[in-house]
Amino acid sequence: MRKMLLAALSRVLQGPAAAGRTASRVMVASRNYGDFASEATFEIKPCDLHRLEKGPGTTAVMTREEGLQYYKTMQTIRRMELKSDQLYKQKIIRGFCHLYDGQEACCVGIEAAIKPTDHVITAYRAHGFTFTRGVSVREILTELTGRKGGCAKGKGGSMHMYTKNFYGGNGIVGAQVPLGAGVALACKYFGKNEICIALYGDGAANQLCTAHLSMTS
Amino acid sequence: MTFNFSMQAIDQVINSAAKTCYMSAGSISVPIVFRGPNGAAAGVAAQHSQCFAAWYGHCPGLKVVSPWSSEDAKGLLKASIRDDNPVVMLESELLYGVPFEMSEQAQSKDFVIPIGKAKIERQGTHVTLVAHSRPVGHCMEAAAVLAKEGVECEVINLRTIRPMDIETVEASVAKTNHLVTVEGGWPQFGVGAEICARIMEGPAFNYLDAPAVRVTGADVPMPYAKILEDNSLPQVKDIVFAVKKALNI
Repeated sequence: MRKMLLAALSRVLQGPAAAGRTASRVMVASRNYGDFASEATFEIKPCDLHRLEKGPGTTAVMTREEGLQYYKTMQTIRRMELKSDQLYKQKIIRGFCHLYDGQEACCVGIEAAIKPTDHVITAYRAHGFTFTRGVSVREILTELTGRKGGCAKGKGGSMHMYTKNFYGGNGIVGAQVPLGAGVALACKYFGKNEICIALYGDGAANQLCTAHLSMTS
Repeated sequence: MTFNFSMQAIDQVINSAAKTCYMSAGSISVPIVFRGPNGAAAGVAAQHSQCFAAWYGHCPGLKVVSPWSSEDAKGLLKASIRDDNPVVMLESELLYGVPFEMSEQAQSKDFVIPIGKAKIERQGTHVTLVAHSRPVGHCMEAAAVLAKEGVECEVINLRTIRPMDIETVEASVAKTNHLVTVEGGWPQFGVGAEICARIMEGPAFNYLDAPAVRVTGADVPMPYAKILEDNSLPQVKDIVFAVKKALNI
């Protein structure tokens, strides 16, 4: 199969002059699913450990189906965010609109590593996580345009979207960090082996509540 | 940024700035000005739209000013900086782009407005409207609408929330016998509530012909959808309705 492919390619690359034959349809390239790998393995840099014996694994395997699913999710988020950008510039979306295009891999990757019963809380750049946590694109866009079919009935807007096991969407920088720690404490308290992912940036890292948290926990 | 973010530093504003002069029996002064946008903007939803006039106005040790016009902003800022006390200056993001006429005197280099003095923006005889910040503009519009119906409103621009110039309000109520307060913040424990309490406690109570009416923001966190947001803040029609209610017309 590969030899045929290479032969076909070399014929095309030589150009019509070399062969001196009448124009005919030449197969330029051909692919079939048998050529693709069914899974990919990734090496992960080992993490520094603090008070732990064993860290997370250093290899990860992604199947083709999973890869396609992640790609589709990321593309959906990208299209949704680009449209939100247009709507924001047309002033159909008002107030603040913090977009997630470019970061789609973060929410998709995190969602891939956790279960739907785990918990997520983030700052105001939340549309990606809102989608991966189960809110439909229609509900997100409806919320952004302030209609009552939105996930918060139009009362929350861009920064205040919630769903099961997803606690927003928080406007004040750093506010989500102590809340995330509280959810994690509840997970520990209930003993259901759930975790809470709290996301924040370097700006929030400077905030007092984050500092208090790091000093007391 | 906006005063909504000041909640993260409110311990410093209250415990460190407001109380220090008293706790040190006057030996340490805190001549600082906290200024920034306060209250509702446009479509920024619940966590970015709160009015802090009542919160900061509650605390002894702080001075709280709330400008409306350009000359208010200039004069009050200069006065706040020159004041040796911690001053919270609650501006309005929606007023930053609004032009106002300024007199020659207001444009001069050393124009200062005394903190603790309200201004009567419009003379009237039938009802007193008291407001601060952006609602003063709404009161002026409502006064124009009501003037066509023969009701002359006196509009008072508080300018300072703390120390509040209640004497100006009392003198006005003694003249008009009716009071309507207007604010963007929530009704419970708000600026309007304080004005009503002080009027009731003072001599002006005897001059009131009807209970005072408060026009305030709706008692909900600010919604995002435009139709809901517009109806969560006092509009000109709400002020007109309140005046007619106070005057029983």
